[in-house]
Amino acid sequence: MTTTLVTPKLPPSTHPFAEVVHRLEAGGSMLPDTPENLMQIIGLYKAYAVPMDFYWRDLLYIAEQVFVDPLPFFKFIIPEEYLKLANHYAGDNADLRIWRGPATAHPELLEFMEKGELKRKLPRILHHLWHDRINMEFAEECMRAMLWHRDMGGLLDPYMDSEEYKQNADRAIRAYCQGNPLLTGLYKLFPDMFLELCRQATMYSVLGLFWEVMAPVFFEMSDLYDEGKITSVPEAMNFLVNGIFAVAGRPIYHRVRIRGEWYDIVPKSKGFTWLYEAAFPYVEAVFYRTSPFRGTKSYNAQANEVPTNQLDFHYGVLYADKFPVGSAGIPPTLLHQDMYHFLPQYLVEYYRKHCRGEDDMLIQLGISFQRSMYNVTSAVIQAGRAAFLYPLDDPNPRHLMMNRRYFEGQLNRFTRPEYGIREAARLSYIQDQNYR
Amino acid sequence: MLSALIVLPILGSLLLFLGLGGRKLAVVLAGIPLAISLFLFTRFDVQATGFQWEQRWDWIPQIGLSYSLGLDGLALLMVALNGLLTLIAILTAEPETKRPNLFYGCILLMSGSVNGAFAAQNLLLFFLFYELVLIPIYLLISIWGSPKRDYAAIKFLIYTAVSAVFLLGAFLAVYWLGDPHTFELAEIRISSLGPAAQTLALLALIVAFGIKMPLVPFHTWLPDAYGESSPPVAVLLGGVLSKLGTYGLFRFGLQLFPQAWADLSGLLAWWGAIAVLSGALAAIAQKDIKRMVAYSSIGHMGYILLGMAAATPISLTGAMVQMVSHGLILALLFDLVGLVERKVGTRDLNVLNGLLNPLRGLPTVSALLILGGMASAGIPGLVGFVAEFLIFQGSYQDFPLPTLLSICGTGLTAVYFVILLNRTCFGKLDNRTAYYPRVQGWERIPGFLLTALIVWFGIQPMNLVKWPQTLAFTLSTQVAQAQTLVIAEAEHSSPSSLLQGSLMDNASS
Repeated sequence: MTTTLVTPKLPPSTHPFAEVVHRLEAGGSMLPDTPENLMQIIGLYKAYAVPMDFYWRDLLYIAEQVFVDPLPFFKFIIPEEYLKLANHYAGDNADLRIWRGPATAHPELLEFMEKGELKRKLPRILHHLWHDRINMEFAEECMRAMLWHRDMGGLLDPYMDSEEYKQNADRAIRAYCQGNPLLTGLYKLFPDMFLELCRQATMYSVLGLFWEVMAPVFFEMSDLYDEGKITSVPEAMNFLVNGIFAVAGRPIYHRVRIRGEWYDIVPKSKGFTWLYEAAFPYVEAVFYRTSPFRGTKSYNAQANEVPTNQLDFHYGVLYADKFPVGSAGIPPTLLHQDMYHFLPQYLVEYYRKHCRGEDDMLIQLGISFQRSMYNVTSAVIQAGRAAFLYPLDDPNPRHLMMNRRYFEGQLNRFTRPEYGIREAARLSYIQDQNYR
Repeated sequence: MLSALIVLPILGSLLLFLGLGGRKLAVVLAGIPLAISLFLFTRFDVQATGFQWEQRWDWIPQIGLSYSLGLDGLALLMVALNGLLTLIAILTAEPETKRPNLFYGCILLMSGSVNGAFAAQNLLLFFLFYELVLIPIYLLISIWGSPKRDYAAIKFLIYTAVSAVFLLGAFLAVYWLGDPHTFELAEIRISSLGPAAQTLALLALIVAFGIKMPLVPFHTWLPDAYGESSPPVAVLLGGVLSKLGTYGLFRFGLQLFPQAWADLSGLLAWWGAIAVLSGALAAIAQKDIKRMVAYSSIGHMGYILLGMAAATPISLTGAMVQMVSHGLILALLFDLVGLVERKVGTRDLNVLNGLLNPLRGLPTVSALLILGGMASAGIPGLVGFVAEFLIFQGSYQDFPLPTLLSICGTGLTAVYFVILLNRTCFGKLDNRTAYYPRVQGWERIPGFLLTALIVWFGIQPMNLVKWPQTLAFTLSTQVAQAQTLVIAEAEHSSPSSLLQGSLMDNASS
């Protein structure tokens, strides 16, 4: 059922997505509130959370130990200590226990890491080479999107260009290269390249810390849904909003361990926080912008569908074409393959009943993923409104109008005709239950 | 043996009309003639000239009608092609086809009649079968076609009725003006006809069979008939029915009138080249994939005419191979286009897109469509190349310019198939509308079968080329002899020869 409550203090919106604006004003999500939508997004959160539990661990491993290795062949094969790394926000010994799950890696992840899709225990390198693995390519794409776009608000971004950051990086890189004449020589020859590799490692850390929070959030949402405690799409969105604010002030940092010693690149003492330095840039870079890589959105460069301005990029999951592009048999994305391994049974049954069942489950779950990420984006939009603007039940019509302008401003990103975004954005599609 | 090829399908069609049997019976009754024709290949003597397995029974002697049958290399190939495509058409048909018994019955009746026409050694018998084919085909178009099927069926009927008038006129001319007065192919001696009468009769035959093939400008029934027919009927129309026209030209045009043929060969070569180019250009302009394939057929008929016009052993062999090649490729394309229409619900090039998508598209159909397009464009390694190469090689010496233009036509064929494939198979599948049903395993069988043959004959062309070679050589020799005779007569009647003769006379005296 679609929530279309409109506060009587304001006239109806005339925005092309007025129905969605009114829903946001009523505290709803961009995604219509239906049981089918709820089942899809919760099931997907769970399926996403398991690989994400691996992503954040590997991202931190790369940021902290692989660091500026110019040939990081084994960066996806993480050591046991990172697989067993305790989550800071879950488990009995958490620094800040917000989520009720355990601190250790999810049991399904551990089982998959051991036997993989083959269900056979083989050396990990063989599973990896057989592509029987959690694919880090998607996680790296997200990291690169954040690094590449940059300048998306927050204080961390200018800090990475500061003299202080460069000195921290220089100290860590020198320590890393110590005793290795080849690396030392390379660093002398190409200092800027190593500095950029260090910035990349910082972004690995930022994304790892971001997902360290999100993985247990999604697990808990799945558990609550199974227990019947989350019964609507707005409830799911509000759970995310509350979760975002619960950890909004957690520190974002980057440190490197070299020969047993920790080197701070971005110290905790700088006061960079999770919401502004990780969550908002992540949504902006990954959901909205990303980059025109194959498998997300069909584009026609000759028809000027690739914007010249990076700010106008629109290749994120909210626009993504879930069909393989180029007719080359490319699966929608490797992320879908990762999620496919951990789908809850009710979602598998659901997909079997629609479209081509097993054969196109990757596309069906991709579209469910798109729905679920519209819900996450709604949570971020509502969190932004709560952080910067006014309550939804504010008695002052001027304040409500400012809220509306904010919502409409966010939705305008889906309507710009100069790039044909009105058609490319899937916001109108997800309003239809039959979009699969 | 040959009668079984005719009688079995026709009797089967009667059973089906009476409501007995169904799809399975139709498959069996289509399969038996195919099996017989394959068996005949094992017994066929490729070195022998003339017809084999001849049989004759005077049916109505008073009017010269006899039940005379026989097969040579070309007729055997055509009978086998007819058997194969009949089976393919039945397999291609949707199981839930309305009034299935009538549908399959019409297909079998058509198949038996076509076999009769290919095997007939009596002109009148050929004409009877040629006309009998019209009844089931008319019904097949008008009952099971697309919305404009009535218009297409009537148009087809009118054109073919005109074709029949010209055909009957030519046959009667042969009978009345010939000596002896006979419709028996083996007994006809057209030398008793004057040159003008021969030319006129041949022109009438060219018009009659040109409508059936069809040749530009007699082709305007074709896009409607092919386009409005259901896919199995389009397979038969393009794969088999058009071959009645080309076969008729070979059998009754080239074989009976070699001298007139030689006289008209220059005109025919240019006609062929024009057909190739106009068919290809018209295909490029189409927005409907079925009509595009239909127009491609017109172009490919031009190659056959060019090969026949040159009348060298190689070009004639190429033309006969092209008849088989065209039948296989066109059947594959119509089968695939039919599948696309059935699953996607449209044939509009402006709507179709991205069907090669492996998860939600029709990847196998698209892949076969690409192969079919390549075969039609004459890509080496496929049967289309074998036929076109032989035609061009055989005709270039006599008709270099029409041959070169026709070679350009193969380039244009590639153009429209690239357009078709680019719009249909490649590009972006619409995320919102692409909920197409899956192509079932049985629906792929006809396509795989035809593809296998197209590839097999492409890499082992001698398996196809060896059957009509003897006939090609015989026909080529006839035309060459006729040309020699014409030259000799011309030389004999020229002033220089007269002068030379008088000098020789003086010398001898």
